[in-house]
Amino acid sequence: MPFGKHTVRPLTTLGALGVVTALALTGCAATSSSATDDSTDSGKVSRVSITLTNDGSDKCAVSTTKVPAGPVTFSVKNESSTAITEVELLQDQRIFGEKENLAPGLDAVQFTATLGGGKYQVYCPGADKELTDFTVTGKVASTANSSAATLLKSGATGYSKYVDAQVSDMVTAVEQLQTDIDAGNLEAAKKDYADARPYYEHVESDVDGFVKKGFKATDNAGNLDYLIDMRASNLDPAVGWSGFHAVERDLFETGAISDGTKQYAADLTTNVTLLAKLVPTLDYKPEDLANGAAGLLEEVQSNKITGEEEAYSHIDLVDLAANVEGARQAFAYLKPGLTKLDPTLTKQIAAQFDRTNSMMDGFRNADDLGGFDSWDDAAKSAHANEVSQRVQALQDPLSRLAEKVATA
Amino acid sequence: MTDGPAPLSRRGLFGAGVAAGAGLAAAGAGVGAAAGIAGATIATGVNPFAAATNGDESIDLSLSHPFYATAARQPQGGIRTTPQRYCVFMTFDMSSSVATDLQVLLARWSASIAQLQAGKTVGSVEPAHGDGVGADTGEALDLGPASLTVTVGLGPGIFDERFGLASRRPDALRQIPTLPSDRLQEGLSGGDLSLQACADDPQVAYHAIRDLARMARGTATVRWTVLGFGRASAGPSQTTPRNLMGFKDGTRNVTTDEEYDRFVWVDPDGDGEADGWMAGGTYQVVRKIQMNIEIWDADVVSDQQRVFGRTKIEGAPLSGGTEHTTPDFHARTASGDRKIDETSHVALAAHENNDGVKILRRPYNYTDGLNQYGQLDAGLLFAAYVNDPEHFTRIQRRLGAVDRLNEYIAHIGSAVFAIPPAPKKGSYIGEQLFR
Repeated sequence: MPFGKHTVRPLTTLGALGVVTALALTGCAATSSSATDDSTDSGKVSRVSITLTNDGSDKCAVSTTKVPAGPVTFSVKNESSTAITEVELLQDQRIFGEKENLAPGLDAVQFTATLGGGKYQVYCPGADKELTDFTVTGKVASTANSSAATLLKSGATGYSKYVDAQVSDMVTAVEQLQTDIDAGNLEAAKKDYADARPYYEHVESDVDGFVKKGFKATDNAGNLDYLIDMRASNLDPAVGWSGFHAVERDLFETGAISDGTKQYAADLTTNVTLLAKLVPTLDYKPEDLANGAAGLLEEVQSNKITGEEEAYSHIDLVDLAANVEGARQAFAYLKPGLTKLDPTLTKQIAAQFDRTNSMMDGFRNADDLGGFDSWDDAAKSAHANEVSQRVQALQDPLSRLAEKVATA
Repeated sequence: MTDGPAPLSRRGLFGAGVAAGAGLAAAGAGVGAAAGIAGATIATGVNPFAAATNGDESIDLSLSHPFYATAARQPQGGIRTTPQRYCVFMTFDMSSSVATDLQVLLARWSASIAQLQAGKTVGSVEPAHGDGVGADTGEALDLGPASLTVTVGLGPGIFDERFGLASRRPDALRQIPTLPSDRLQEGLSGGDLSLQACADDPQVAYHAIRDLARMARGTATVRWTVLGFGRASAGPSQTTPRNLMGFKDGTRNVTTDEEYDRFVWVDPDGDGEADGWMAGGTYQVVRKIQMNIEIWDADVVSDQQRVFGRTKIEGAPLSGGTEHTTPDFHARTASGDRKIDETSHVALAAHENNDGVKILRRPYNYTDGLNQYGQLDAGLLFAAYVNDPEHFTRIQRRLGAVDRLNEYIAHIGSAVFAIPPAPKKGSYIGEQLFR
C-alpha cells in the first residue's frame, strides 16, 4: 500500500478483499441442478421453480405461490425468454434474493432465502406480467435482510470516520507542503505535493459539494472543491487560479517558487482546513458509499487516464491509485451487508478490485514521485487502453451497487 | 419495457419507392419511409456527365429479421441477408479465461440480439429503482428494427488452452498468414470474438454494438472497430454499389443456392464432414483496406479502368459488353495486347483464374476522418464469407503480389472468425461447444 503509512485507522474488514475469486459474471453455470421437485416435503426446504418462456410474449411462471415459513430454494430456468434477464424476490421494494444473467440455453440456477410469514412478490422485469404475488404462511420471522440493512448502516458509519481521517491527514500534508514552499525548498515541495494528493483523491466524490457561506451555488469563488482542485482546463477566469494545481504548475512547470506560489499554498491550507471542519458534519447512507465509489471511478475515466488531472507533474497514476483505493474502502465498508444481499455481485466486484490492483502493481516505481510510474505521453500511449478497459470492468458491476444497497 | 409496433419512421425521406427485401418480416403496421433515388436512364457514352442509374431502391425501417433458426444448419443473419446500408464491426479479446464466462456472454448476447433485431430494448431504459443504472442505453428507442442483423464470430483464440475448447477447433480456423503487401497494424487486427451489426439506420447498428460491448465488460475487452457506411455489395434485388474508388464492387459475387452451398456454408448437408457445431456455419475474413484517396483521384480514368479491368460507369469488362458480361481474359487488341491486363484486379480475382473458387464478399466503405498528413482516411471494410479461409488466402496472395491496385491501397487490418449457425429458440450461438 503506497499510502498505508498515512492511514490512521487500519480496518479489519479490508482483509477479506484479498481473496481472489475467478467468477467474473454471475455464477450461472456454477449450479447445474435443474428444478424437478416443486413439493415442500423434501426436508424443511421449500422448493419453487420459476420458468421463463416466450411464446410471442415473455412470461414468468412461478410453480407455487404459497409456501410455509423457513428456507425456500428458488430454481430459475430461462427456457426461451429473450426479454427477461433477471428475477428478484421482493417485499416492500426490498430484495430478498435474486438471479441475474439469465438467458435461454443456460442451465437452471438457484437461490435460497429464509423467509418469515408475509406477502412477497416475484419480480421478473421485462415479463408481460412483471410481478407475481408470493405468500409465505406461518410466523413472521425476523429476516436475513434486516441484518443486512443493519450491517450496511454500521458500514456507512465506519466509512464516515475513514473520510474524516483522510481529510484531517490532508490538512497535515498540505501544511507540510506550505512549510517547504515558504522555505523555498523546491524538491521537498514536489515530494510533499505528491504525498498530499492521494488524501483528496481517496474521498473527493464525498466532499466535493461544499459551498462557502454567503456564496451562491453557481459561484465558483465559494465552491470549495473548485478552490482546492481546479485544473487549468476548467479554469473560471472570473475567479482566477488557486489550489493544488496552481501549486503544481509552479513546482513542476515553472520550476520555481515565487511569492505567488506561497500565496497559493497558504490559500490551499486555509481551504482544506475549512473543508476538514465541514466534512465531519456529513451523514452517509449506504447508497452514498456506493455512489461515491462509482463517482471516484468516473474521475479515473474522465481525468486521470487522459493525464488531464496532473498535467504538469504527471503523477496521474498516483491519483488514479488513490481513486481506486477510495472506492475500495467504500466497498469494503459495505461488504459485510452486501455479502448477505448479493454474494455473487460482492465476489464479482472484489475480483475486479483485485485485478485492478494487480494491474496497478505493475506501475509501481519507488523512484518516481508518489511511488508510481510517471504518466507521460509514452506511458499513456502504451498503457491507457489497458487501464481504461480494466477500470471499466470494475466500474460496471460497481455502478449496480447503489440500487442494491438502497433497496436492502 | 419493450416498445410496441415500430412507429412510422421520421428519419427516412418520403418519396417514391416500393418496400424492398423479400423474406423480411414487417415489424410494424405502418408503411415504411422510403429513401431512394430513382435516376433517369441516360445512355452511357452519350452524355459525358451522366450519372449511372441506381434503380429503384427504398428503405423500410420497420422491417426486421428473425434471429432464431427454425431448422438445423440455418445461417446467422448478416451473411446472405440483403446488405443493409450501414455496418459497425467490432472485435473483442477475452479478459476472463473461465469457460462459463464465455458461455454466459454468448447466451446473453444471443438473447439480446434477438431483442435488438426485433427493434426492442435489451432491458429497461428507466430502471424501476431510482438508484439503478439503465440496462439499455436508449438511443435506439423509436428508430424501428431497421433490418438489423448482428453476426457473432469466434476467433482462433477461443480454441487455445484457456477455455478447454482446443479439441473443438475446426481445422480451417487458423490465423490468416502474412501475405504479400500486408501492412497490418496490431491494433486493427485479430480478436477472440467479433460482432458485425448491419442496419439501414446507422444509429440502430451502433446502439447494438454499444450495448453488447457493455454487456461484455468484465469478460471481454474491446480490440478494434470500424464504422461502415454505404454498402459495397449487392443482394439479389439490388444494383451493384460502388466502393470509394468509384467502381462497382462485387459484380461477380456469390449468388445462387448452389454457389452458397459450394463456397460459403460449412457442411450444408450436415453429413458430418465437420464438427457438428459448425455445420451450416461459415468463416468470416475481415480486412481493413485503406485507400490512398488523393493519389487515386489524380489518376487518369483510363488508367483507373486498366487497374480494375472494367469501365468506371457501366462496370463492363474491358473485353467488351455490359456489367454482367463474362470477362474474356484472352481477348486482345489489334496491336496484340490483352484487353484486360493480366495484373488487373478483376483478372487476378476472377474464379476462372483461381481454380474456380469464389468468395462471398460483403464489404462496406468506411472513413476515419483525416489522417495525420491531412489526407482523407478512408477505405473498405472488406468482409468475406467462405467455407475455408484458405480460399481467401489463396486469392489475396496473388492480389498482394502483383495487383495493379496495390499502388492505391494498403491492407492495414486482418482477422478471421468462425461463424456458427443460428441457434434455435431456447438455445444460443455456440451452445453445442459447451455440451
